[in-house]
Amino acid sequence: MPADATAAQGAGNGSDTTTGRGGVIHNIGYRRYDAIRLGRPAIVRALMWHSLRSAFGLRRGARAKIFPSLLFAIMCLPAVVNAVALATHPGGSPIISYDSYVPSIRTVVMLIFVALEAPNVVSADLRNHTLPLYFARPIRRIDYPAAKLAAFVIACLLMVEIPVLVLYLGNVSQVHGTHAVFEQTLQLGPGLLYGAAWAVLLASISLLLASATGKRVFAICAIGIPLFFSWILANVLAHVGAQAFGPAAFGQPSALASLAGLISPFTLLGGVLRWLQAPNPGPAAVLQATTVGQYGALYGAVFLLLTVAAAGGLILRYRKVGVA
Amino acid sequence: MISPTMPPAGSRVAQAAPAAVIQAAALTKRYGTAVTALDDLTIAIGSGVTGLIGANGAGKSTLIKILLGLLEPTSGAASVLGHDCVTHGFAIRTLTGYMPEHDCLPPDVSATELVTHFGRMSGLPASAARERAADSLRHVGLYEERYRQIGTYSTGMRQRVKLAQALVGDPRLLLLDEPTNGLDPAGRTAMLELIARIGSEFGISILVASHLLGEIEQICDQIVAIDGGRLLRADTISSVTKASAVLLVEVDEGAELLQAELIRRGLTPAPFQRGLLVQLAGDDTYDVIRDSVADLGLPLSRMEQRRHRIEELFRADPALASVLPESQPTGASSAS
Repeated sequence: MPADATAAQGAGNGSDTTTGRGGVIHNIGYRRYDAIRLGRPAIVRALMWHSLRSAFGLRRGARAKIFPSLLFAIMCLPAVVNAVALATHPGGSPIISYDSYVPSIRTVVMLIFVALEAPNVVSADLRNHTLPLYFARPIRRIDYPAAKLAAFVIACLLMVEIPVLVLYLGNVSQVHGTHAVFEQTLQLGPGLLYGAAWAVLLASISLLLASATGKRVFAICAIGIPLFFSWILANVLAHVGAQAFGPAAFGQPSALASLAGLISPFTLLGGVLRWLQAPNPGPAAVLQATTVGQYGALYGAVFLLLTVAAAGGLILRYRKVGVA
Repeated sequence: MISPTMPPAGSRVAQAAPAAVIQAAALTKRYGTAVTALDDLTIAIGSGVTGLIGANGAGKSTLIKILLGLLEPTSGAASVLGHDCVTHGFAIRTLTGYMPEHDCLPPDVSATELVTHFGRMSGLPASAARERAADSLRHVGLYEERYRQIGTYSTGMRQRVKLAQALVGDPRLLLLDEPTNGLDPAGRTAMLELIARIGSEFGISILVASHLLGEIEQICDQIVAIDGGRLLRADTISSVTKASAVLLVEVDEGAELLQAELIRRGLTPAPFQRGLLVQLAGDDTYDVIRDSVADLGLPLSRMEQRRHRIEELFRADPALASVLPESQPTGASSAS
């Protein structure tokens, strides 16, 4: 701040008025702001919270909250059913694993969630040409996409991890002894970590696709159509690969069946889980649709590559936009 | 906390800082090889209200974006409030408020929410952002309607919201890009009064870009005219309009007769719109005109002294003709 900033300026009385069109402008005097100014990290944090709220339709009309809350409820449903089942049938074993949760529900819910909410996070600012207002403020070029990405990763984390935590609470409430609780907690860790992989990958891909257009409907299609059809295609190819070509070797699925999962982010995530579980597949392996065969490590590599590429693409996207 | 201290009006902060608010030296911006937006532009702009005049495409918006540190110049240097635009754009953006030319407001939030949000984006803590948003919106003349969604606003109200979001961070300098865009004449007048007030009473320096010279000359302390990215003219209003008092004489009929008669009597009348502009040499100029009109028996409808409009001065200079929209081949109607 320059030295003169402490001096305030104002007319000081309320009697002077200027009549303009659309209202009377009362001269109330101008007040300088010379208190604390927050730095760049605080501004980025504020933008992140703002974006996170918009991902769940908060501070927007009631209509904007319908889908996020409905999807969240559906996502939590298996965990709640699990808790109720355990409570009414003491001694039964949990029916859902922490890592894969219920893959079909998770896939469908997250597909709809990112397709509907990623456009709220980024395309509204593109549509309304609000970006110049952001870039004229004391932030750097990279801060805007970084804040948006962080916000949407957190939004996806909430969608994926809270049901897992509900599942954990339901299980823990029905087991006895510290050892059993410890056992559950040990299993929860990888489950949360795998959930984070979902959040990071889906958030980066969907934000990159959403930032391509300012039109909400186009953005929803740009996310939903590729994600949905690649998922269908991956499953079809995996089936064809398994049925038509037979195993490549004993106990080894054919190459087509093993590689088909790479096509879709959802089957890719399933493949990553299958790869990480490879030495001792848990009960969830039966539920896992993705066949990886001997290409497990490839799934891991493609997952990392795709995440970095999508996040990097998002940042590159905002290098030029809104200026020229 | 917002400081409530209010020293008596008249102690203009802006006058305390004599150094140039905006400086540019040989500033050049090319897009590719074909388009030159700014061409070797050298200017120094002091505090107060400055008009940046140029036709569409003259390089006004490009200059503003370079000043904000959003675009890098191809060559040359520029500084704002003593900070270099290329290396210290970040510092500049903490001290400036920017009002873009085009519509940039989301329709589905209220003005209060929007301005509060951009207050936070300017680095204000949450409570201060709310307070200053309310203040800024009141300064620009939005009261109860500020709780309504922006989508329901008129163009004039939107322009006020855009101004309020530029003002919310308490800037030392405002960069306003075509603030009267899309406004009707009454809306323009109100917006210009508002800008003049912010410049004179709030002690904030302002750069107003406009393609309508006649419009912003009333509120500016100085004028910078650019065309094709080059500086045409930079001057204070007083030096431009010095000793240029003129009389506008309008007669319902026989303007040509009157012109001939005035020339015969040694004056230099120039046709202007439906009347004649006569240089005011002294009190006897009035007598000469009165006598001429009386002798010819013409119906005199108007005779008024006016400040010589910069626009007319510019029109007299062929090099400046391009900044005047009226002189363009498309023939936009005379707005002033």
